[in-house]
Amino acid sequence: MNNKHHMGLRTLNRVSNTAIYILLIIISVVWLIPFIFIVLQSFRVESTYQVGYVIPHQWGWQNYINLWNSDFKRWYLNTFIIALAAAVLVTVIQLCMSYTLSRFRFKLRGPLMRFMLILGMFPGMLTMIILYRVLSDLGLTQANAVPGLILVSVASSGMGYYVSKGFFDTIPKSLDEAARVDGATRAQVLYKIILPLSKPIVIYTILTAFMGPWGDYVFARYVAMGTSAGYNVAVGMYSWLTNDQIARMYTTFCAGGVIVAVPVTILFLCLQKYYVEGVTGGAVKG
Amino acid sequence: MKKILSIVLALAMVLSMGVFASAASELAGEYDVTVWAPEAAVSLTEQQIADFNASNELGITINATVEPVSEADAASNMDTDVSAGADLFFFAQDQLSRMIKDGAVTKLGQGAAAFVTENNSAGSVLAAQSGEDYYAYPLTADNGYFMYYDKSVIPEEDVDSLEAIIADCEAAGKNFSYELENAWYNAGVFFGTGCHSDWSTEDNTNFTLDDDFNSENGLIAAKGIYKLVSSPIYVNSSNADFASGSAVVVTGTWNYATILEQLGDNFGVADLPSFEVDGQSYHLGSYNGCKLLGVKPQEDAVKGAALNQLAQYLTGAECQIARTVEFGWGPSNNEAAADESVTSNPALTALAEQSAFSVPQPNIPGPWWDIAKVITTDIKASDGSDAALQAALQKYEDSVGAASGITLVK
Amino acid sequence: MKQYSDLEYLRLSKGQKFSYKLGSFFAAIPRGIGHFFANIGKYIKNGVVGLGRELGDIGSTFVHGDWKTKTSFVVMGFGNLARGQILRGLLFLLFEAVFIIYMIFGGAHWLSMLPSLGKVGPSSEYNAILDTYTTVYNDNSFKILLYGVLTFFFIIAFIYTWRVNVKQNKIAEQILKSGKKLKADKDDLRSMVDENFHATLLALPMTGILVFTVLPIVFMILVAFTNYDGSHNGYTNNLFTWVGLDNFNTMLSWSGGAGGGQSYSATFGEILAWTLIWAFLATFTNYFLGMGVAMMINKKGIHLKKVWRTILVMTIAIPQFISLLYVSKMFARNGLINLSLMDLGWIKQPLPFWEDATWARVTVVLINIWIGIPHLMLITTGILMNIPADLYESARIDGANAWQQYRKITLPYMLFITGPYLLTSFTGNMNNFNVIYLLTGGAPTNPAASGAAGSVGYTDLLITWLFKITTGADSQYYLASVVGIMVFVVVAFISLVVYNVLPSIKNEEDYQ
Repeated sequence: MNNKHHMGLRTLNRVSNTAIYILLIIISVVWLIPFIFIVLQSFRVESTYQVGYVIPHQWGWQNYINLWNSDFKRWYLNTFIIALAAAVLVTVIQLCMSYTLSRFRFKLRGPLMRFMLILGMFPGMLTMIILYRVLSDLGLTQANAVPGLILVSVASSGMGYYVSKGFFDTIPKSLDEAARVDGATRAQVLYKIILPLSKPIVIYTILTAFMGPWGDYVFARYVAMGTSAGYNVAVGMYSWLTNDQIARMYTTFCAGGVIVAVPVTILFLCLQKYYVEGVTGGAVKG
Repeated sequence: MKKILSIVLALAMVLSMGVFASAASELAGEYDVTVWAPEAAVSLTEQQIADFNASNELGITINATVEPVSEADAASNMDTDVSAGADLFFFAQDQLSRMIKDGAVTKLGQGAAAFVTENNSAGSVLAAQSGEDYYAYPLTADNGYFMYYDKSVIPEEDVDSLEAIIADCEAAGKNFSYELENAWYNAGVFFGTGCHSDWSTEDNTNFTLDDDFNSENGLIAAKGIYKLVSSPIYVNSSNADFASGSAVVVTGTWNYATILEQLGDNFGVADLPSFEVDGQSYHLGSYNGCKLLGVKPQEDAVKGAALNQLAQYLTGAECQIARTVEFGWGPSNNEAAADESVTSNPALTALAEQSAFSVPQPNIPGPWWDIAKVITTDIKASDGSDAALQAALQKYEDSVGAASGITLVK
Repeated sequence: MKQYSDLEYLRLSKGQKFSYKLGSFFAAIPRGIGHFFANIGKYIKNGVVGLGRELGDIGSTFVHGDWKTKTSFVVMGFGNLARGQILRGLLFLLFEAVFIIYMIFGGAHWLSMLPSLGKVGPSSEYNAILDTYTTVYNDNSFKILLYGVLTFFFIIAFIYTWRVNVKQNKIAEQILKSGKKLKADKDDLRSMVDENFHATLLALPMTGILVFTVLPIVFMILVAFTNYDGSHNGYTNNLFTWVGLDNFNTMLSWSGGAGGGQSYSATFGEILAWTLIWAFLATFTNYFLGMGVAMMINKKGIHLKKVWRTILVMTIAIPQFISLLYVSKMFARNGLINLSLMDLGWIKQPLPFWEDATWARVTVVLINIWIGIPHLMLITTGILMNIPADLYESARIDGANAWQQYRKITLPYMLFITGPYLLTSFTGNMNNFNVIYLLTGGAPTNPAASGAAGSVGYTDLLITWLFKITTGADSQYYLASVVGIMVFVVVAFISLVVYNVLPSIKNEEDYQ
């Protein structure tokens, strides 16, 4: 009787596992299809516009050569510089912010956190025009858009302290207290005790800060104001999909997409472990 | 007051003629200039500016940075910040009122205005005008649309009948691309049935519109629109869609090269067809617009004058012909229009045929485009009955009547 | 509304507890508002008394202070310098010098222009000799407003610093009188990395937030009270100026808006309704499906866990402007999906993914699932693994099937842990600009709302509408500001409700 029951469970398990495998395969296909299509279209040379089939009739590197001959190199370099600078500076700022708010109890802590919560409820889109004007007064627009974009993305990044604060909250406070008893200053506690334990969240923050600028379109377009030298990849490539260019540049857009996505994806996959730890350690704690 | 003004003006004219020689030498010098041109035209424009530097007798040297900025972006960028905008920029004429409103284009002096009126086609002169004054230089007169078609789907004898074309497309399972949910295209249908839409403005802020879209003729046009948009093969697009299922695309010269490549031997081009309502035939009309070259207002009169010299060179016959040869843009300049390179271009020929049914596009304020495009949306959502179509037109009239900055007279 | 005692409350079921809390929250709103107004007098009194006390303290410091303190009232930091606290003294002095120089060379000017936002607009002049028009630019309303606000901030900061300077003198005198020693510069420096380390760490981030977030938000709130738009850009055409509450009247009035058709308030209501529906659907479809995928991958006996996860995670790494733009083209009328389906003979006519309101709305929600599941999968995986295994073990022994286990163990645990995340993700989805903008741009157009600024579409969220208003032909920044303020009100209201209802948000200390 007992044995029979067991058998039934096992078959049930096998059936449900098979169903899950089928589902997972379907999901994987659905998730990958657009990317596979982009890659395939980037190698199509017989026409440069949208067509009703996926597999190129004629394969070649022409779209990548076009890419090389266009301003894309410049845009790519711009984005890379912004991403790199943001990765370093945003991480420093966010860690300062979240560490402080997680570890210190000072008079203004509560009001400060509430204030930033309220600030975060204003749609950021609203402030684009004024940020543009401020940058323009500082001479950081158009051809100088790169430092301007770095400045803006770094300056307000303190607001995004939530995830890393959630992570710091999980490190036991007794560690700090022990070190303080041993005569370490607050700064020494940070460098010697907390930072070594924070590798996942540091890498998580670097990774998200690095990935952000690759997709920044709306504000970057404002700041570049029609100066190709100040474009990032999103602004530059988006212009290829406008009515007057899409017929000539569609496949080049696909090639550009591949060039943008591949390094970011590889980096992401290499550091995936930390990303997951960061997300699960911090994100849900709000 | 008027008298004093005219005396001053006359004096100014005498003075300007008298000191022409010295004025010319006054312009000599180097100028740093930014130009916004559509991506395709960047290298040609750089070349033309270099030619200008070499050939002008005024001693002007332009150090130009030519940036690829589409005509639509030029306007939205100027909206954001005129100070950071280019000194010289290509834009479509429907943006003129917006550009003037932004303070992004300079008023032309008398000499420049004369250059525009004397050398360009009547329609393009109208396009550069707002009130009594001129604000830009016509670059092309080809901003109109006509029909490209796939000869393997649409037989030659059907190209004149909208009904026959729709039937051919339906039979072949091919689409008909016509961006009727855009006022620039749907207004043409109304012109085809004898409707008019006349605009005037004194101050470029308050416009007066005299139109009869909500009339018997308008109802006929609405029926024509319904014929197409109620068909399953209708696609609201003006892109080169031949590779993605369309057999007919109503679009302009800017897609000529792409479509030629897409269709190859089956390439067909013609003026728009006619449609039939109650046994009577109506030829689809269109807007015929221009692209313009704008000069940003300058604080330094000398630089302003030099820029105007450059703009006149760039919109002159020689440069316009070069653009026709390179990208098939139809010239606004009368001398260029007669050139062999223009008359032998099939797309420009179709455009010329369509011009018998086209209306020169006047200076129209932005909100109207948003209001008028909804006519098609409403017609598409309706059941096609006279009452429903009439209601769509009535709604259009009400919306225009209530719009700020537009006064509707009938 | 019935009030429960603590004991009664504890006896309620989960659902009852929830509805009780929700009910008492709303019941408390009128009371809260009444409370606020009833106490307004008290607040004012407290404020006045507090101010009086400060002023009294300042006065007595001056009267009783020595000459060093008295000089510090005019020359900030003098007292510190005279008493050997060189570093503090120099900082105070430097701040005062910068303030005075700024006020003389700009601040005073901007502040004086603030009430009018500029008097002289640009003018066009005809140069007869060169036969050209030139433009003379004059006042710049935008700069006046911006620098006016900045100056205002600066003055507040100055007053605060001056007050600190006075207080320090008083304290220093007291310390010296009691025979103790003042803190040396060395001690001040050391405290920056020790007891005041938090201030050191926060200095840079907070400055950034102040200049690049607070200042712009204050500015944009003020813009809602001006007529700043495309035809009044404040510099190259017309100046803009204060218009009071006009813009709020326009937005909130029920009569037909400019441009005919329906009123702004009706349009706003329609968009708000869709925004809320969208945020709800987007949040919860992602949440449950993401959890489902995570549970499938984590199930015992499923192999290649890493491969499945990696495939999904890849989509997070690819910038949205590439993937969403591409997918948007795929679903177009003559895009890949329609063409393939027609080739296969499954459909005769193209499916109106982006042309029909309902189709478009369903499609954006579906594509959002595609975007969102990987992220949720990652988040939930971690939490799922943290659920103590013995909970399931004992449930199995009690004979609970998989569904019951999910209902009784997994879901409550997940909801408790991810409550805050759900809230931020809900408000985040309300402002999910990218998905809507890159997929549909708001299309298809909503004909009824054609009169409202920026031609509204059926998939437009408030945030994309706001964007359309600022970038449309009229660039009605003032209207965008009003919409932005209203978005804030809605988000704040929802957050407030949820905060008061959700148990896991309230006490952040519980986590530590």
